[in-house]
Amino acid sequence: MSALLNHLPNWVWLVPALPLLVVVINGARVLLGLASGDAAEPLTARLSSLAAFGGLVLLLAIDGLALLHGAPGHRRLGHWFGTGNWEATFSFMLDPLSLTMGTLTALIGWLVIRFSANYLHREAGFHRFFIALSFFLAGIQLVLLAGNGLLAFVGWEMCGVSSFLLIGYAWHRPVATGNALFAFITNRGGDAGFLLGLGLAATWLGGFEWTALSQASKISVVNDRLLVIGFVIAALAKSAQLPFSAWISRALEGPTPSSAIFYGAVMIHAGVYLMLRLEPLLVQVPDVMFGLVVAGLLTAIYAWLCGLVQTDVKSALIFATLFQVSLMFVAIGLGWTTLALVHLCLHAAWRIWQFLLAPSWLAITRDRPPPPPAWLRHNQLLYTIALQRFWLDKLSHTLLVEPTESFSRDVRALEEHFIDHAIGQPGQGKAVHADRPLVVADGLPGRVLAAVSDVLQHIEYRLLLRGKGGMAEKLMHRAGAYLRTLEHLLEQPRYLMMAVMATFVVIL
Amino acid sequence: MLKVLVFLPVVGAVLLAVLPARRALPLWQVAMAFALASLGYALWLATRFEPAGAAVQMFESRAWNVRLGSYFALGVDGISLAMVLLTALLSLIAVLVSRRMEQGARLYFMLVLLLESAMFGVFTARDWSLFYVFWEATLLPLFFLIDRLGGPNRQRAALNFFLYTLGGSVFMLVALLFLYDAAPGHSFAMADMAEGGRGLPLNTQLLIFAGLFIGFGVKMPVFPLHGWLPLAHVEAPSPVSILLSGVLLKMGAYGLIRAAETLPAALLATQDWLAILAFISLLYGGILAWRQQDLKAMVAYSSISHMGVVLLGIATLNVTGLTGAVVQMVAHGLTAATLFLVVGLLYQRTHSRDLADYGSVLGKAPRFAFFTAFGLLAAIGLPGSAGFIAELHVLVAGYTRWGGWVLLLGVAMLVGAAYSLRAIGRLCLKGETMDLPDMTRTETLCGGLLAACILVLGLWPAPLLELIAGSVGRVAGLFGG
Repeated sequence: MSALLNHLPNWVWLVPALPLLVVVINGARVLLGLASGDAAEPLTARLSSLAAFGGLVLLLAIDGLALLHGAPGHRRLGHWFGTGNWEATFSFMLDPLSLTMGTLTALIGWLVIRFSANYLHREAGFHRFFIALSFFLAGIQLVLLAGNGLLAFVGWEMCGVSSFLLIGYAWHRPVATGNALFAFITNRGGDAGFLLGLGLAATWLGGFEWTALSQASKISVVNDRLLVIGFVIAALAKSAQLPFSAWISRALEGPTPSSAIFYGAVMIHAGVYLMLRLEPLLVQVPDVMFGLVVAGLLTAIYAWLCGLVQTDVKSALIFATLFQVSLMFVAIGLGWTTLALVHLCLHAAWRIWQFLLAPSWLAITRDRPPPPPAWLRHNQLLYTIALQRFWLDKLSHTLLVEPTESFSRDVRALEEHFIDHAIGQPGQGKAVHADRPLVVADGLPGRVLAAVSDVLQHIEYRLLLRGKGGMAEKLMHRAGAYLRTLEHLLEQPRYLMMAVMATFVVIL
Repeated sequence: MLKVLVFLPVVGAVLLAVLPARRALPLWQVAMAFALASLGYALWLATRFEPAGAAVQMFESRAWNVRLGSYFALGVDGISLAMVLLTALLSLIAVLVSRRMEQGARLYFMLVLLLESAMFGVFTARDWSLFYVFWEATLLPLFFLIDRLGGPNRQRAALNFFLYTLGGSVFMLVALLFLYDAAPGHSFAMADMAEGGRGLPLNTQLLIFAGLFIGFGVKMPVFPLHGWLPLAHVEAPSPVSILLSGVLLKMGAYGLIRAAETLPAALLATQDWLAILAFISLLYGGILAWRQQDLKAMVAYSSISHMGVVLLGIATLNVTGLTGAVVQMVAHGLTAATLFLVVGLLYQRTHSRDLADYGSVLGKAPRFAFFTAFGLLAAIGLPGSAGFIAELHVLVAGYTRWGGWVLLLGVAMLVGAAYSLRAIGRLCLKGETMDLPDMTRTETLCGGLLAACILVLGLWPAPLLELIAGSVGRVAGLFGG
């Protein structure tokens, strides 16, 4: 029994794997047309909730073990791929930080799935929702439990994709799909930072394992700073801190349970988790920590002001969330990591309840929401700024979207006018030879190929024993003529005699 | 044991000659029985072969001409066993696909069985004189097969083929006699000659190798000795094209590997030149194939290109490259056979080889569409087909030896993809449909057999690699890796 218990941490991979399995099963059911109508709903919901519950039980068991014998720590379960001096592994980190967050997330995930089963009853995208939600659960657990950056990055991307899918849940509304794209693209900006950090970690720290980060003191401060900045960008983007804050207020398009788990309770904290995980690296670079404090404070002001003027419940909640998360960043920047972790857990638990309650809020309170405070109403500038959410949307549009669009237009024009012609396009080719209409070529490579093939064909016909009047044939003819002359001469008696005499001379 | 393999088809041919049958079907049945028996026997031999065992197994030798020092010696190693299996399979296909043949069936089946026997002889001979005899023995049945049963230009093609290969083998014979003369012991046995050849000074080795290379290069074919190939392939009846390109070309490459064992110093000295010839063959064949609108000519030229991969693999002279070369020999045998099979069957039905005369066969003849697309994609060396394994090996080995020059191999593959996709686009994608009777059950069986072999070797090449590993390692060992 105790042996079995000791092996328990090695089964931690089931926590992300179970929801993934459910994704596959439900996806197959949808593809095969087995999931349609009311009758199919309970199975989808039950499978998803079972997977989430299984993960929760497993994590609780590991928690119990950790309380008795201490946390299992870093576990390497298998080789993924790798060459030379670095290797990607299937490893999991089971330290107090991971276990706390993982268990809390599993609990929230399970509750949200239970809640959604009723909330989404008879919705058109019922199965789609559960597939995306299970996919998200797998992703976030990978982020939290992974023992190396690469595996965490896989989970990180899975979260991004499922977030995109759920924001665009009502895909027939252009606003929803536009917002989904906006959120996804902003997050990709952060992902670039994550990848940068991973690449630098592989180069300088010799691996992706979180345990390798404890050797951070060995590398120079400059390198360390660059490495950390990559991860900080990823964390700021995921947790919607300034300057990436704009996406979160547009991300509430999805169904309420998904908003609750993504932006209220779990995913928004992923950035905080990343910072907590990278604490050994962070403490090496005080200037970056100071940057975190600044970003956190600015976000706090932004969220506080905007939150005061919101009139709908979900927006008010999201700015409140943002405010709390920014405080966590400030705490991390000041080095109070334990405080940040406690804050995170309490906040997640409280906020999930608030978010899930949001649809019934009006029915419960029946009051009008309080107006913004008097000082804000009287300060026109501040009021406008708060209402316009600091013009972040507009700013990002003029600074990023428009230049990108015009740049892409220019590139497209360049491609149409020059590159397409140079490379050649399918279906545009011209026949190389009039009697072979199917052998066509277009573009520079095509023309080069055609010219070369002309030359080679010429060689083939001229030099080899094939064509009429080829060089080889001419040479043969000439040689044949000489031989005939020789033979003719030899047939004459005098030369024949001479040949016979010569033969005799040789023999004698 | 190998005697039985070599002479089993001869017995079949004799039986066919005296069989009192008016109609073609009984003849076909007898030929099938012997082709099947040969394949079965070859497979049985393969199970008896131990890859980790001695270099040459199932060796049997009998003095043939004591005064000259020639022996009737047969034996197989991993490389020749792979070739024997390929020969047996493709001969079976060549017989199987000719079920409907009416005119000249007796002659055809006899000649195919004789050819099979000669090919077995070439791959199992362990004595250079015997090798030469079998080598020449393949010429006669082929000459008559092309001359009697070929297309409109068959006489010219047959003569061209005969003269080219005979010219090549004269050089080979002279080189062998030189080697016999230069080597101490005066014996034609491969082992003795190899021992003698390795001791020769570099200049003599180079001279002898030049002669052998002309002989083998014509067969393989290597640019600029390939003049016979396009004409012969185009004019030969399709089942003969299958054997011609599937097995006969491999005899050249096989001989080259044997020559490498005998004259290592010459190979080391000419390594880079061989690679240059290989690259030229690759591009030359590929580009000319791209130019063809005639389907059979396209496949014929693509054979030149694909055999360039084999030569490149041999030229690397290391384990990876030689492995790639041998795997490519097998892979090209299978894919070229598939392509010639399909093209031949299409020709049988439409009497045209011009791509412009064809439309999409997708709706009316889906099996044709499938096998055409499969064969062409396998010829490109798509992952999952046997050609991919070969090209990958050669690419890796070539890169370690010549660095960026292997990009030329990539260019040749790209050109290959261009003409293959053109044919696929015309025949197997939606478009103007053409009316065509689909492949019959026998023909589908042939195509399926080849396709299955290509797929199995592409997805699970381990058995083949294991079979040839020992022999390839021994050859590469002569060159220090």
